[in-house]
Amino acid sequence: MNGVIRTENLGKYFGELAAVHAVNFALKEGLFTSIIGPNGAGKTTLINLLSGYLFPDSGRIFFQENEITRMPSHKRVKMGISRSFQIMNIFSRLTVGQNILLPVLSRRNKNSSWLAAINSQKDAVKEAETILQEVWLWEKKDLPAGELSHGDQRLLELGIAVASHPQVCFLDEPSSGMNPIERVKVLELVKKLAAERKTTFAIVEHDMDVVFSLSDWIVVMNRGEILAEGKPEDIRNNQEVRDIYLGEEI
Amino acid sequence: MKKNLALLVLIIFLFLLPILVGKYLLYMTIHILLLSLFALGFNLLFGYTGLLSFGQAGFYAVGAYACAKVLLVVPSLLAGIFGGLVVAGVAALVLGILCIRHTRIYFSMLTLSFGMMIFSLAWKWRDMTGGDDGLVGIPRAPLEIPGLLKLNMTPMENYYYVVLIFSLLAIYLFHRLVNSPLGLTLRGIRDSETRAACVGISVVNYRLLSFTIAGVYAGLAGALLPPLENTVTPPVAHWSHSAEPVLATLLGGIYSFSGPIVGAFLFYIIKDIIVRFTEYWLICLGVIVLILVLGFRGGVVSIWERKGGQG
Repeated sequence: MNGVIRTENLGKYFGELAAVHAVNFALKEGLFTSIIGPNGAGKTTLINLLSGYLFPDSGRIFFQENEITRMPSHKRVKMGISRSFQIMNIFSRLTVGQNILLPVLSRRNKNSSWLAAINSQKDAVKEAETILQEVWLWEKKDLPAGELSHGDQRLLELGIAVASHPQVCFLDEPSSGMNPIERVKVLELVKKLAAERKTTFAIVEHDMDVVFSLSDWIVVMNRGEILAEGKPEDIRNNQEVRDIYLGEEI
Repeated sequence: MKKNLALLVLIIFLFLLPILVGKYLLYMTIHILLLSLFALGFNLLFGYTGLLSFGQAGFYAVGAYACAKVLLVVPSLLAGIFGGLVVAGVAALVLGILCIRHTRIYFSMLTLSFGMMIFSLAWKWRDMTGGDDGLVGIPRAPLEIPGLLKLNMTPMENYYYVVLIFSLLAIYLFHRLVNSPLGLTLRGIRDSETRAACVGISVVNYRLLSFTIAGVYAGLAGALLPPLENTVTPPVAHWSHSAEPVLATLLGGIYSFSGPIVGAFLFYIIKDIIVRFTEYWLICLGVIVLILVLGFRGGVVSIWERKGGQG
């Protein structure tokens, strides 16, 4: 099974609990992938392992066939793996613009320049401005990020995640806490960014309507393991998946 | 524009100070400048990187003792000052490797312990540091660049200019630093280290860099002390001395560039006034800091900014 990122028998255990167990996951390049499953299925843990936020207890992870199992997050970002967080994780005291500028500077390896003013990094500033417009935060670029509304902070999360020009980008519930209209808007934005930037997105999402209408590929997790994966119509007809979402219309 | 003009007036005023005031105020101004540098470095760690160090006096002391040691052997002011700041920087780099892997209270306690270890060294290592007597008879050596110039430093006015120029230079460099991509990176780490790592920033390396620069600033402040006092004693390494930049920074404001400098100024003014009435001046200072921390978390500078609308 080939993929831009893939795992072999990946496992992560918290005491007795197998948060992720024997997972063989492969993310296919260019396919908009959704990871779904009930609460506690191990979706976020899987993203944490793939992004280097946690290290696995067993198994291996490969990115373009290079092993990255124990590589720290910041190095994975440089290779092209980026993520957003389920719980708000932005630079709240920096301005919205600076929030986006930081990953752009990082990708250009400009973090350590210490004598030049920030604004003298013209290319980086321009690139950050483009991203700000893409995620509809241009008008708010000078506000402290902590003062944004919840929905705008989610957009900023997305902006930070894509600002490092990742090849692969994991979004952990990018639309959580949003109303249904905002939700569709944000996920359509993600889809648009995927097409424009040639980034492969894998998202964790709870809204089944959105998942089934937007995804090219769906991975279903349950109790730390991958239960099924396939195209939306196959997943929709899968009896096991229907069982874990008991009674829910999927 | 208005701000730049005010700054220019302040700098001219500082250069004219020896003509305007007597020896005591000059002596106090030197101390204010030293505490400003000390507190600025501390605030790179605290306000900009989000790490509260209680051990900065250790690096101040390393700078002071190293400068004293150099001056006792080589009577050249520049050699002493640069010797002090380099040794302090190396000490900060080495101890930093051990400290920056931890954050919050764990980091604070580690820095406190290492600071007190340096204090113990200063206290016990009699052959090197003179023990509780300290190092005495340190010359205020002439400022000498061989073949270029030799300035006599005996009058305090002359030494004041050396401190002033070093301070202005260090403050200017600090200003460049915090407004550079590096400064932004440190502030990013302060706001969220997990997020910083997930945009490709090596949190540990940048924390170490910040720790080392803070140590260099403490070392510079420390190195400027022995030529002024002609002596160095262990209390400069004591944890209560580490509290001075903490208090000055809280007083002035942790999230503004000028906070530590304004705080250092206020610290000495408050101390000087209250000490005339009571030896328990720290209690009064404590109350003032408490009021500021509870009521105006951004310190004095934030009150100014809110009213005047200028940074």
